[in-house]
Amino acid sequence: MEKSSDFVLYERVRNKDKEALEQLYDRYEKILFSFLVKMTEDRDLAEEALQEVFIKVWRGVGEYDESKGKFTSWLFTMSRNAAIDLIRKKKKPSVALEEAGELVSPASSVEETAEWQEKKEQIQLAVKDLSAEQQKMVQLFYFKGYTHEKISELCEVPLGTVKSRIRLALKKLKGTLHDMQERGDSPWRN
Amino acid sequence: MAKLNCDHVIDYLNGTLSKEEQLEFEQHLKTCTDCQEIIEMTGDLPYLADPVDPPAGMKARILSTVFEEEEEQKKSEEVKREPAPLIAQKAVKKKNRWPVLIAAALFVSLLGNGYALLKLSEQPETGGEMAFQSIDLQPNEVFGGTAKAAIIREEESLELVVQAEQLEALEGEQVYQIWLLKEGKPIPAGAFTPSANGEGNAYYSLEDNTEDWDTIAITLEPQAGNASPQGEIVLSSEI
Repeated sequence: MEKSSDFVLYERVRNKDKEALEQLYDRYEKILFSFLVKMTEDRDLAEEALQEVFIKVWRGVGEYDESKGKFTSWLFTMSRNAAIDLIRKKKKPSVALEEAGELVSPASSVEETAEWQEKKEQIQLAVKDLSAEQQKMVQLFYFKGYTHEKISELCEVPLGTVKSRIRLALKKLKGTLHDMQERGDSPWRN
Repeated sequence: MAKLNCDHVIDYLNGTLSKEEQLEFEQHLKTCTDCQEIIEMTGDLPYLADPVDPPAGMKARILSTVFEEEEEQKKSEEVKREPAPLIAQKAVKKKNRWPVLIAAALFVSLLGNGYALLKLSEQPETGGEMAFQSIDLQPNEVFGGTAKAAIIREEESLELVVQAEQLEALEGEQVYQIWLLKEGKPIPAGAFTPSANGEGNAYYSLEDNTEDWDTIAITLEPQAGNASPQGEIVLSSEI
């Protein structure tokens, strides 16, 4: 249901429907902003990245269609890349591993929506199935946007294997999530 | 190109594939469940973030910027769309001249090597009404820079392209001024200032060229816009 309505909204945005863009914005503002803050560790930079994302959506840059997977995958990937661009442009890349943070952080004080909470708990469980090294790689690659060189250095793995290791970690994560959803009655997978 | 496969999913996520590669990878994605799963995972991972309350007024700031950009884009398109008829005609004429200018610029840039001679011998193919002339300007005794010029004569018009190198840096309002001379009488024919690496380019066009110029010269002028030379000649050649 949500999937199709995202797509319908997006189609309306493509036809320059301002109201549809606003609805899309309202729907994803909080998750995108939170995600971008996790990535940039800077609220101003996160806002700038978010603005870039919506400018692109409105202009129809990197057009979405269903062959590209879920709408959220597309939107989040675009947001991630906007953040990485800004991080590289504006911030000195942090080198120390301690600064990179953990993939799973301690509980926060801000209230989560029930849906968010549920997704987060499931992903956190799946993350626990990854080795420590795999967790580190997902954090450095996905959330920090580190280059392969940096990841290779920080995780002490050969440069040539970085990509395939990230791929394996993400695949394993998805596999575990998938299994959990098969077992439970997850509302968020069609 | 090698077929894009699972190895490229990370590049795809990072947006580092070319447009072409991206389309190719999307073809792969249609049939590869492994890659589909990895892409799907990116729709879930951001939920690992701690919720952060968006700052007050962010929505208004972002949406107004998004829609304003759109307005500005429209405006600039409108401006482009409605030039005065006279300008439009001129623009078309100018546009037609581009091939000539590109040819001239290329021609000049080729002058420094043997290939230029080769090209020179091929010049007749550019048509009977157009004449190319290449010139190596000679520096005065103390000047360290070099310059090459190409003159293209076509019916009544004349186009001049100058490329200079190893130029001395300028001070204040100084410019390098190009002159065309006939029997010692000069007209200004373009000016330039050198780039940080000492290179300079100029293009000059004379719509009604009635004179038969005998000399080209470059002077170092104390300021731009002089109707006759005040500075000394640094580079020159007979035409």
